[in-house]
Amino acid sequence: MRRSRYGWLRVVGIGVLLLWSLFPVYWALNTSLMTNAQAQSSPPSFFPTHFVFSNYEAIFGFGPSSASTAGGIGRALLNSSVESLGATVLTLVLATIGAYAFARLRFRFQGFLFYVVIATLTLPVYATLIPIYTILTKLGLVNTYVGIILVYTSGFLPLAMWIMYNMFQALPASIEEAASIDGATTLQIFRRIVLPIVRPGMAAAAIITFLFGWGQFIFPLVLGSTNSTEPLTVALSALSGRHVVPYTMINAAAIVAIAVPAVIVFFLNRYIVDGIVAGSVK
Amino acid sequence: MVAPLLVFIGALALYPTVLTAYGAFVHNDALDPPNHFTGFGNFQSVFSNSQVRQSFENTGLYVVFGVLLSVGLGIFFGLLLQRRFRGRGIVLALMVLPWALPGVVEGVIWSWIYDPTFGVLNSTLKSAHVISTYQLWVGTHQIESIFFISLVQVWQITPLAAILVLASLQAIPSELYEAANVDGATTWQQIKRITLPLIRPGLAIAVVEGLVMSLNIFDQVYVLNAGATTASSLMSETYQIAFGNLNFGQGYALSLLATVTTIALSLLAVKLIYRRVEF
Repeated sequence: MRRSRYGWLRVVGIGVLLLWSLFPVYWALNTSLMTNAQAQSSPPSFFPTHFVFSNYEAIFGFGPSSASTAGGIGRALLNSSVESLGATVLTLVLATIGAYAFARLRFRFQGFLFYVVIATLTLPVYATLIPIYTILTKLGLVNTYVGIILVYTSGFLPLAMWIMYNMFQALPASIEEAASIDGATTLQIFRRIVLPIVRPGMAAAAIITFLFGWGQFIFPLVLGSTNSTEPLTVALSALSGRHVVPYTMINAAAIVAIAVPAVIVFFLNRYIVDGIVAGSVK
Repeated sequence: MVAPLLVFIGALALYPTVLTAYGAFVHNDALDPPNHFTGFGNFQSVFSNSQVRQSFENTGLYVVFGVLLSVGLGIFFGLLLQRRFRGRGIVLALMVLPWALPGVVEGVIWSWIYDPTFGVLNSTLKSAHVISTYQLWVGTHQIESIFFISLVQVWQITPLAAILVLASLQAIPSELYEAANVDGATTWQQIKRITLPLIRPGLAIAVVEGLVMSLNIFDQVYVLNAGATTASSLMSETYQIAFGNLNFGQGYALSLLATVTTIALSLLAVKLIYRRVEF
């Protein structure tokens, strides 16, 4: 009875939810497929009348109008990919090994060290931004992939460790004990038994880490001043700050930066939701 | 086995934090060397700077808008998705999308929506007769600018709040609603008396996440507000002082204040809202 009376309300609500969540992305896509004149028409056209790909050609450095723009989006796309993937792999390896040790081994100062790691989850960007810049400058790691990957990894490790720790905690130790009685070594147990079981947790940690890396802005803004390491976020903000670049091209560049997370969300959304819940509710 | 992890966190999280805490009390200005201990000198300088004071006020507004809107919408979306229906998985996936996008990209695509001459917000509101002339949404009025920049961040963080609320909702046993139905409780009464009290743990985390994100708001401000003080945030002001004016001492002082405030407010929020819920 309740259901039927409020059913239409839910439909309207879901409609609002979808419009709110998708319209800005749709609008950017729509704009990116128009000529500048179409994008500035009044009233605006809510669908591209004929698809124009010149904006995409221009930001990647092809086509006639590319001369006036940076054209460096291709390089930025590469930079974003290298930095996010590098940080994801490093974070995942360190977090998985560390979490397993915290969950299964017994060592001195274990409780204290665990709380130290978890406590860094609460540190805001402010706490580390300027010192990280000075440290990396001293080490000569400014404007390098290595520098950026190290900084990302240090930032994402606590959350990934926490997600993996909860996975290992939920795994009954009796499975590993049985394998141990059968003569398997610690490494064998870890690789053959534990890792396959915690794979969903690793996927969640990896996806969330990758998305965080993809979205980073203030650290790469501070840590890089050349195109050689500039990720899409920094390139895009530079593009939109130059008022000569038409909005159709800026939106095309935005769609390039949106495409990768959008594909991940669409196909791997299950892991994201699980990871967010595992990373925060406990 | 934990050594590599600890080295990373020690070298690039804890050590920098210590440097920040120490640097806040050292005069460190690239344009006025040498460095020397200055006690609370940096704090006095930043507090006497009217642009910094404005950024404090602005950040307060970012936090109010950010937390209220993201948690409010998060509860609404969570309730919408509480019961199973066909296509819920797809709706959930589409809802998560804004959370996964870079803040800068969101600032860029919304700035086109807000555009004072060609923006779809202006043209839509004008044809609906809500406004009579096109508006400059961001840049002139303080509260209006902050609201519209905050809205972009709310767009990004609402999915997180909704997921946290949804996770708490799904832990509530359906018998409670069945019993309430038998007793003739209305939907609104059920939301008020059963749902809201029982999702407090999820809400607590959503509030803290919203609080931390809005206290740290930078990307959206950087793109939408450019260098103006109208809607500057604590983070954008810190960035300006440290990397624009090259006054690291004052940058450290602001960073320390912001760090302590973030942690203190987070703890307070958890203490106020969090209740252990047992079924």
